[in-house]
Amino acid sequence: MAKAVLNAKDYNLAGCHTCGQVVDMLNHTHAVCPRCDSEVHYRKLDSINRAWAFLIAAFVMYIPANTEPMMRTTALGSESGDTIISGVLYFLSHGDWHLAVVIFAASVMLPLLKMMAIAYILISVQRGATDRKAENTRLYRLAELLGKWSMLDIFVVGLMAALVQLGSLTSIAPGPACIAFAAVVILTMFAEMALDPKLIWDQTEDKNE
Amino acid sequence: MNSIKVTDPSAIVFVCHECDALQQVSQVEPGNDATCIRCHNRLFRNPKGGLDKPLALIISAMILFIISNAFPIMTLTILGIEQSATISDTALIFIQRGSPEVAAIVWLPSVLIPGLMISGLFYILLSIRFQLDLPFTRPILKLLTHLTPWGMMDVFFLGILVSLVKLVALADMALDMGFYAFLLLILVYTAALASIDTHTLWEGLKPQSNNLPEVEHG
Repeated sequence: MAKAVLNAKDYNLAGCHTCGQVVDMLNHTHAVCPRCDSEVHYRKLDSINRAWAFLIAAFVMYIPANTEPMMRTTALGSESGDTIISGVLYFLSHGDWHLAVVIFAASVMLPLLKMMAIAYILISVQRGATDRKAENTRLYRLAELLGKWSMLDIFVVGLMAALVQLGSLTSIAPGPACIAFAAVVILTMFAEMALDPKLIWDQTEDKNE
Repeated sequence: MNSIKVTDPSAIVFVCHECDALQQVSQVEPGNDATCIRCHNRLFRNPKGGLDKPLALIISAMILFIISNAFPIMTLTILGIEQSATISDTALIFIQRGSPEVAAIVWLPSVLIPGLMISGLFYILLSIRFQLDLPFTRPILKLLTHLTPWGMMDVFFLGILVSLVKLVALADMALDMGFYAFLLLILVYTAALASIDTHTLWEGLKPQSNNLPEVEHG
Protein backbone atom coordinates (compact mmCIF):
# COMPACT_ATOMS: atom_id res chain seq x y z
CA MET A 1 0.00 0.00 0.00
CA ALA A 2 2.65 2.50 1.05
CA LYS A 3 4.67 1.52 -2.02
CA ALA A 4 2.18 3.30 -4.27
CA VAL A 5 3.12 6.69 -2.84
CA LEU A 6 5.78 8.49 -4.85
CA ASN A 7 8.38 10.92 -3.61
CA ALA A 8 8.44 14.23 -5.47
CA LYS A 9 12.24 14.09 -5.43
CA ASP A 10 12.23 10.98 -7.63
CA TYR A 11 10.37 12.97 -10.26
CA ASN A 12 12.76 15.94 -10.05
CA LEU A 13 10.10 17.98 -8.35
CA ALA A 14 10.27 19.86 -5.07
CA GLY A 15 7.71 21.72 -3.01
CA CYS A 16 8.73 25.26 -2.04
CA HIS A 17 9.38 25.38 1.73
CA THR A 18 7.71 28.78 2.00
CA CYS A 19 4.64 28.65 -0.22
CA GLY A 20 4.29 25.03 -1.31
CA GLN A 21 4.59 25.72 -5.04
CA VAL A 22 5.66 22.60 -6.98
CA VAL A 23 8.93 23.48 -8.71
CA ASP A 24 10.60 21.60 -11.54
CA MET A 25 14.14 20.83 -10.34
CA LEU A 26 15.38 18.89 -13.38
CA ASN A 27 19.16 19.42 -13.72
CA HIS A 28 19.20 21.76 -10.72
CA THR A 29 20.15 21.30 -7.08
CA HIS A 30 18.41 24.50 -6.17
CA ALA A 31 15.99 26.82 -7.91
CA VAL A 32 14.09 30.00 -7.21
CA CYS A 33 10.38 29.62 -6.53
CA PRO A 34 8.41 31.36 -9.31
CA ARG A 35 5.60 32.21 -6.92
CA CYS A 36 7.34 33.60 -3.81
CA ASP A 37 11.00 34.05 -4.86
CA SER A 38 12.31 31.76 -2.10
CA GLU A 39 15.19 29.42 -2.74
CA VAL A 40 13.93 25.90 -3.33
CA HIS A 41 15.87 22.77 -2.45
CA TYR A 42 14.87 19.13 -2.43
CA ARG A 43 15.60 19.01 1.30
CA LYS A 44 16.46 21.71 3.82
CA LEU A 45 20.22 22.31 3.55
CA ASP A 46 22.45 20.63 6.13
CA SER A 47 19.30 19.81 8.06
CA ILE A 48 20.67 17.23 10.51
CA ASN A 49 23.83 19.13 11.48
CA ARG A 50 22.02 22.41 11.98
CA ALA A 51 19.26 20.76 13.99
CA TRP A 52 21.81 19.05 16.28
CA ALA A 53 23.73 22.32 16.76
CA PHE A 54 20.60 24.22 17.83
CA LEU A 55 19.46 21.31 19.97
CA ILE A 56 22.75 21.01 21.89
CA ALA A 57 22.84 24.80 22.42
CA ALA A 58 19.25 24.63 23.71
CA PHE A 59 20.16 21.84 26.10
CA VAL A 60 23.11 23.84 27.47
CA MET A 61 20.84 26.84 28.08
CA TYR A 62 18.25 24.60 29.76
CA ILE A 63 20.61 24.19 32.75
CA PRO A 64 20.92 27.88 33.81
CA ALA A 65 17.24 28.31 32.91
CA ASN A 66 16.42 25.95 35.76
CA THR A 67 19.17 26.67 38.27
CA GLU A 68 19.28 30.48 38.10
CA PRO A 69 16.53 32.62 39.65
CA MET A 70 13.68 33.55 37.31
CA MET A 71 12.40 36.31 39.55
CA ARG A 72 13.95 38.49 42.27
CA THR A 73 11.58 39.69 44.94
CA THR A 74 12.60 42.58 47.16
CA ALA A 75 10.43 42.94 50.25
CA LEU A 76 11.37 45.56 52.87
CA GLY A 77 14.97 45.64 51.79
CA SER A 78 15.63 41.89 51.78
CA GLU A 79 16.06 40.21 48.41
CA SER A 80 15.14 36.65 47.50
CA GLY A 81 15.43 34.76 44.24
CA ASP A 82 12.97 32.23 42.88
CA THR A 83 13.86 29.52 40.40
CA ILE A 84 11.17 27.74 38.39
CA ILE A 85 11.32 24.70 40.67
CA SER A 86 11.20 26.72 43.90
CA GLY A 87 8.15 28.53 42.50
CA VAL A 88 6.48 25.21 41.69
CA LEU A 89 7.28 23.87 45.19
CA TYR A 90 5.92 27.06 46.76
CA PHE A 91 2.57 26.60 45.04
CA LEU A 92 2.48 22.90 45.92
CA SER A 93 3.05 23.66 49.61
CA HIS A 94 0.27 26.24 49.53
CA GLY A 95 -2.19 23.82 47.97
CA ASP A 96 -2.28 25.57 44.57
CA TRP A 97 -1.48 22.30 42.83
CA HIS A 98 -3.18 23.25 39.54
CA LEU A 99 -0.96 26.32 39.21
CA ALA A 100 2.07 24.19 40.11
CA VAL A 101 1.11 21.69 37.38
CA VAL A 102 0.66 24.41 34.71
CA ILE A 103 4.04 26.01 35.47
CA PHE A 104 5.87 22.70 35.81
CA ALA A 105 4.40 21.37 32.55
CA ALA A 106 5.08 24.52 30.52
CA SER A 107 8.50 25.40 31.90
CA VAL A 108 10.18 22.14 32.90
CA MET A 109 8.50 19.26 31.06
CA LEU A 110 7.67 20.80 27.68
CA PRO A 111 11.17 22.04 26.73
CA LEU A 112 12.68 18.74 27.87
CA LEU A 113 10.12 16.66 25.96
CA LYS A 114 10.55 18.80 22.86
CA MET A 115 14.34 18.41 22.95
CA MET A 116 13.99 14.66 23.47
CA ALA A 117 11.50 14.39 20.61
CA ILE A 118 13.79 16.22 18.18
CA ALA A 119 16.81 14.18 19.31
CA TYR A 120 14.80 10.96 18.86
CA ILE A 121 13.77 11.91 15.31
CA LEU A 122 17.34 12.95 14.44
CA ILE A 123 18.76 9.64 15.72
CA SER A 124 16.06 7.65 13.86
CA VAL A 125 16.88 9.48 10.62
CA GLN A 126 20.64 9.02 11.07
CA ARG A 127 20.23 5.32 11.82
CA GLY A 128 18.15 4.99 8.66
CA ALA A 129 15.10 3.70 10.50
CA THR A 130 12.44 2.50 8.11
CA ASP A 131 9.67 1.97 10.65
CA ARG A 132 7.61 4.40 12.75
CA LYS A 133 7.62 7.05 10.02
CA ALA A 134 4.05 8.15 10.67
CA GLU A 135 4.68 8.20 14.44
CA ASN A 136 7.84 10.28 14.04
CA THR A 137 6.02 12.74 11.79
CA ARG A 138 3.28 13.06 14.42
CA LEU A 139 5.96 13.59 17.08
CA TYR A 140 7.52 16.34 14.94
CA ARG A 141 4.15 18.04 14.53
CA LEU A 142 3.52 17.86 18.28
CA ALA A 143 6.94 19.40 19.05
CA GLU A 144 6.18 22.16 16.54
CA LEU A 145 2.82 22.86 18.18
CA LEU A 146 3.79 22.84 21.85
CA GLY A 147 7.20 24.53 21.95
CA LYS A 148 6.01 28.12 22.28
CA TRP A 149 4.10 27.42 25.53
CA SER A 150 7.42 27.37 27.39
CA MET A 151 7.47 31.17 27.09
CA LEU A 152 4.71 31.21 29.72
CA ASP A 153 6.86 31.91 32.76
CA ILE A 154 8.74 34.81 31.16
CA PHE A 155 5.42 36.52 30.42
CA VAL A 156 4.27 35.83 33.99
CA VAL A 157 7.45 37.40 35.43
CA GLY A 158 6.98 40.46 33.21
CA LEU A 159 3.36 40.86 34.27
CA MET A 160 4.18 40.41 37.98
CA ALA A 161 7.09 42.86 37.76
CA ALA A 162 4.95 45.44 35.96
CA LEU A 163 2.14 45.18 38.51
CA VAL A 164 4.02 44.83 41.79
CA GLN A 165 5.84 48.15 42.05
CA LEU A 166 5.50 49.51 45.54
CA GLY A 167 8.70 51.47 45.64
CA SER A 168 10.99 50.44 48.50
CA LEU A 169 8.26 48.26 50.01
CA THR A 170 8.03 45.41 47.52
CA SER A 171 9.22 45.03 43.97
CA ILE A 172 9.72 42.15 41.59
CA ALA A 173 12.56 42.10 39.08
CA PRO A 174 13.34 39.57 36.35
CA GLY A 175 16.24 37.23 37.09
CA PRO A 176 19.00 35.86 34.84
CA ALA A 177 17.02 32.68 34.09
CA CYS A 178 14.64 34.72 31.90
CA ILE A 179 17.15 35.16 29.08
CA ALA A 180 18.27 31.53 29.40
CA PHE A 181 14.67 30.37 29.20
CA ALA A 182 13.96 32.51 26.16
CA ALA A 183 17.11 31.06 24.58
CA VAL A 184 15.81 27.51 25.19
CA VAL A 185 12.50 28.32 23.50
CA ILE A 186 14.12 30.10 20.54
CA LEU A 187 16.85 27.50 20.03
CA THR A 188 14.41 24.56 20.16
CA MET A 189 12.21 26.37 17.63
CA PHE A 190 15.27 26.85 15.38
CA ALA A 191 16.15 23.16 15.81
CA GLU A 192 12.64 22.09 14.86
CA MET A 193 12.67 24.45 11.84
CA ALA A 194 16.09 23.19 10.72
CA LEU A 195 14.93 19.58 10.90
CA ASP A 196 13.36 18.54 7.61
CA PRO A 197 10.55 16.04 8.29
CA LYS A 198 10.91 14.78 4.71
CA LEU A 199 14.11 13.04 5.83
CA ILE A 200 11.96 10.71 7.94
CA TRP A 201 10.33 9.42 4.76
CA ASP A 202 13.51 9.24 2.69
CA GLN A 203 14.51 5.87 4.16
CA THR A 204 13.23 3.30 1.69
CA GLU A 205 11.71 -0.01 2.72
CA ASP A 206 12.53 -1.81 -0.53
CA LYS A 207 15.87 -3.13 0.81
CA ASN A 208 14.17 -6.31 1.96
CA GLU A 209 12.22 -6.87 -1.23
CA MET B 1 12.31 10.59 -17.50
CA ASN B 2 9.48 9.72 -15.22
CA SER B 3 6.12 11.25 -15.79
CA ILE B 4 3.01 11.58 -13.70
CA LYS B 5 -0.29 10.29 -14.97
CA VAL B 6 -2.99 12.85 -14.32
CA THR B 7 -6.28 11.01 -14.19
CA ASP B 8 -8.44 13.92 -13.06
CA PRO B 9 -8.04 17.03 -15.24
CA SER B 10 -9.29 19.40 -12.50
CA ALA B 11 -6.80 18.02 -9.99
CA ILE B 12 -3.86 20.04 -8.66
CA VAL B 13 -0.43 18.46 -8.25
CA PHE B 14 0.79 18.78 -4.69
CA VAL B 15 3.97 17.92 -2.84
CA CYS B 16 3.41 17.29 0.87
CA HIS B 17 5.73 19.66 2.74
CA GLU B 18 6.18 17.14 5.54
CA CYS B 19 6.80 13.86 3.73
CA ASP B 20 7.47 14.85 0.08
CA ALA B 21 4.66 12.62 -1.22
CA LEU B 22 3.72 13.58 -4.76
CA GLN B 23 -0.01 13.50 -5.25
CA GLN B 24 -2.87 14.97 -7.18
CA VAL B 25 -5.65 16.52 -5.21
CA SER B 26 -9.13 16.94 -6.63
CA GLN B 27 -11.31 19.88 -5.67
CA VAL B 28 -12.31 19.88 -2.02
CA GLU B 29 -15.81 20.68 -0.78
CA PRO B 30 -16.04 24.05 1.04
CA GLY B 31 -15.30 23.60 4.74
CA ASN B 32 -13.11 20.55 4.16
CA ASP B 33 -9.38 19.96 4.19
CA ALA B 34 -7.21 18.09 1.70
CA THR B 35 -4.86 15.79 3.59
CA CYS B 36 -1.71 14.03 2.47
CA ILE B 37 -2.32 10.46 1.31
CA ARG B 38 0.77 9.25 3.19
CA CYS B 39 1.30 11.24 6.39
CA HIS B 40 -2.17 12.85 6.69
CA ASN B 41 -0.68 16.32 7.00
CA ARG B 42 -3.10 19.06 5.87
CA LEU B 43 -2.14 20.14 2.34
CA PHE B 44 -4.67 22.90 2.00
CA ARG B 45 -8.19 23.72 3.03
CA ASN B 46 -11.20 25.10 1.28
CA PRO B 47 -12.76 27.40 3.88
CA LYS B 48 -16.42 28.29 3.70
CA GLY B 49 -17.32 31.85 2.83
CA GLY B 50 -14.52 32.76 0.44
CA LEU B 51 -12.45 35.82 1.30
CA ASP B 52 -15.22 37.94 2.84
CA LYS B 53 -15.24 36.02 6.10
CA PRO B 54 -11.49 36.25 6.80
CA LEU B 55 -11.49 39.91 5.75
CA ALA B 56 -14.30 40.70 8.21
CA LEU B 57 -12.54 38.76 10.98
CA ILE B 58 -9.20 40.46 10.31
CA ILE B 59 -10.81 43.93 10.44
CA SER B 60 -12.38 42.99 13.80
CA ALA B 61 -8.99 41.71 14.95
CA MET B 62 -7.39 45.05 13.99
CA ILE B 63 -9.88 47.00 16.10
CA LEU B 64 -9.52 44.61 19.05
CA PHE B 65 -5.73 44.72 18.72
CA ILE B 66 -5.73 48.50 19.09
CA ILE B 67 -8.13 48.41 22.07
CA SER B 68 -6.26 45.61 23.87
CA ASN B 69 -2.95 47.44 23.52
CA ALA B 70 -4.24 50.90 24.37
CA PHE B 71 -5.96 49.98 27.63
CA PRO B 72 -4.54 48.33 30.76
CA ILE B 73 -5.21 44.60 31.11
CA MET B 74 -5.46 44.60 34.89
CA THR B 75 -5.10 46.72 37.99
CA LEU B 76 -3.56 45.70 41.30
CA THR B 77 -4.51 47.49 44.51
CA ILE B 78 -2.39 46.90 47.59
CA LEU B 79 -2.26 49.16 50.68
CA GLY B 80 -4.21 51.79 48.77
CA ILE B 81 -1.66 51.97 45.97
CA GLU B 82 -3.05 51.27 42.51
CA GLN B 83 -0.90 49.90 39.72
CA SER B 84 -2.23 48.95 36.29
CA ALA B 85 -0.34 47.43 33.38
CA THR B 86 -0.82 47.26 29.64
CA ILE B 87 0.63 44.44 27.55
CA SER B 88 3.60 46.59 26.53
CA ASP B 89 4.27 47.54 30.18
CA THR B 90 5.47 43.99 30.78
CA ALA B 91 8.21 44.59 28.22
CA LEU B 92 8.89 48.12 29.46
CA ILE B 93 9.62 46.83 32.95
CA PHE B 94 12.44 44.67 31.59
CA ILE B 95 14.00 47.74 29.93
CA GLN B 96 13.76 49.69 33.22
CA ARG B 97 15.39 46.83 35.10
CA GLY B 98 18.29 46.77 32.66
CA SER B 99 17.52 43.81 30.40
CA PRO B 100 16.40 45.18 27.01
CA GLU B 101 17.04 41.77 25.36
CA VAL B 102 14.38 40.13 27.54
CA ALA B 103 12.12 43.11 26.84
CA ALA B 104 12.43 42.38 23.12
CA ILE B 105 11.74 38.69 23.68
CA VAL B 106 8.52 39.58 25.53
CA TRP B 107 7.37 42.41 23.27
CA LEU B 108 8.02 40.83 19.85
CA PRO B 109 5.80 37.70 20.19
CA SER B 110 3.06 39.44 22.20
CA VAL B 111 2.71 42.77 20.38
CA LEU B 112 4.86 43.40 17.31
CA ILE B 113 4.55 40.06 15.49
CA PRO B 114 0.75 39.69 16.02
CA GLY B 115 0.41 43.33 14.92
CA LEU B 116 2.40 42.68 11.76
CA MET B 117 0.45 39.46 11.08
CA ILE B 118 -2.92 41.18 11.42
CA SER B 119 -2.08 44.27 9.38
CA GLY B 120 -0.19 42.21 6.78
CA LEU B 121 -3.06 39.75 6.31
CA PHE B 122 -5.49 42.68 6.04
CA TYR B 123 -3.35 44.22 3.29
CA ILE B 124 -3.09 40.94 1.36
CA LEU B 125 -6.77 40.02 1.72
CA LEU B 126 -7.75 43.54 0.61
CA SER B 127 -5.50 43.25 -2.42
CA ILE B 128 -6.88 39.87 -3.52
CA ARG B 129 -10.55 40.40 -2.62
CA PHE B 130 -10.89 43.70 -4.51
CA GLN B 131 -8.27 42.89 -7.16
CA LEU B 132 -6.30 46.00 -6.23
CA ASP B 133 -2.95 44.48 -7.17
CA LEU B 134 -1.24 46.35 -4.29
CA PRO B 135 2.57 46.46 -4.25
CA PHE B 136 4.81 44.13 -2.19
CA THR B 137 2.05 41.63 -1.42
CA ARG B 138 4.21 38.58 -2.19
CA PRO B 139 7.23 39.61 -0.05
CA ILE B 140 4.77 40.49 2.73
CA LEU B 141 3.07 37.08 2.59
CA LYS B 142 6.50 35.43 2.53
CA LEU B 143 7.46 37.41 5.65
CA LEU B 144 4.19 36.49 7.37
CA THR B 145 4.77 32.80 6.63
CA HIS B 146 8.10 32.99 8.45
CA LEU B 147 6.63 35.04 11.32
CA THR B 148 3.62 32.78 12.01
CA PRO B 149 5.31 30.44 14.55
CA TRP B 150 6.67 33.43 16.51
CA GLY B 151 3.31 34.97 17.39
CA MET B 152 2.45 34.01 20.98
CA MET B 153 -0.64 35.95 22.02
CA ASP B 154 -2.31 32.79 23.34
CA VAL B 155 0.69 31.97 25.54
CA PHE B 156 0.68 35.55 26.81
CA PHE B 157 -3.00 35.22 27.67
CA LEU B 158 -2.30 32.10 29.74
CA GLY B 159 0.46 34.16 31.39
CA ILE B 160 -2.13 36.80 32.34
CA LEU B 161 -4.31 34.10 33.93
CA VAL B 162 -1.39 32.57 35.85
CA SER B 163 -0.19 35.93 37.21
CA LEU B 164 -3.78 36.77 38.11
CA VAL B 165 -4.06 33.58 40.20
CA LYS B 166 -0.65 34.28 41.75
CA LEU B 167 -1.45 37.88 42.69
CA VAL B 168 -5.06 37.47 43.76
CA ALA B 169 -3.81 35.91 47.01
CA LEU B 170 -1.73 38.99 47.81
CA ALA B 171 -3.74 41.94 46.60
CA ASP B 172 -7.01 43.16 45.13
CA MET B 173 -7.04 42.44 41.42
CA ALA B 174 -9.36 44.01 38.87
CA LEU B 175 -9.62 43.09 35.20
CA ASP B 176 -9.72 46.01 32.81
CA MET B 177 -10.90 46.74 29.29
CA GLY B 178 -7.61 45.53 27.80
CA PHE B 179 -8.13 42.03 29.23
CA TYR B 180 -11.55 41.51 27.62
CA ALA B 181 -10.42 43.02 24.33
CA PHE B 182 -7.37 40.72 24.36
CA LEU B 183 -9.52 37.63 25.03
CA LEU B 184 -11.83 38.56 22.15
CA LEU B 185 -8.82 39.34 19.96
CA ILE B 186 -7.39 35.84 20.44
CA LEU B 187 -10.75 34.23 19.59
CA VAL B 188 -11.28 36.40 16.50
CA TYR B 189 -7.67 36.05 15.34
CA THR B 190 -7.76 32.25 15.70
CA ALA B 191 -11.01 32.15 13.74
CA ALA B 192 -9.45 34.41 11.08
CA LEU B 193 -6.40 32.17 10.69
CA ALA B 194 -8.65 29.11 10.48
CA SER B 195 -10.68 30.70 7.68
CA ILE B 196 -7.60 31.59 5.62
CA ASP B 197 -5.91 29.08 3.35
CA THR B 198 -2.36 30.08 2.45
CA HIS B 199 -2.58 28.11 -0.80
CA THR B 200 -5.55 30.28 -1.87
CA LEU B 201 -3.63 33.43 -0.90
CA TRP B 202 -0.57 32.41 -2.93
CA GLU B 203 -2.75 31.52 -5.91
CA GLY B 204 -4.49 34.90 -5.57
CA LEU B 205 -1.13 36.69 -5.58
CA LYS B 206 0.33 34.73 -8.47
CA PRO B 207 1.97 37.08 -10.94
CA GLN B 208 -0.31 37.35 -13.95
CA SER B 209 2.23 38.91 -16.32
CA ASN B 210 5.01 36.35 -16.57
CA ASN B 211 4.23 32.77 -17.41
CA LEU B 212 4.95 30.30 -14.67
CA PRO B 213 6.76 27.17 -15.70
CA GLU B 214 4.04 24.55 -15.46
CA VAL B 215 4.78 21.07 -14.25
CA GLU B 216 4.78 18.67 -17.18
CA HIS B 217 2.16 15.98 -17.00
CA GLY B 218 2.53 12.91 -19.14
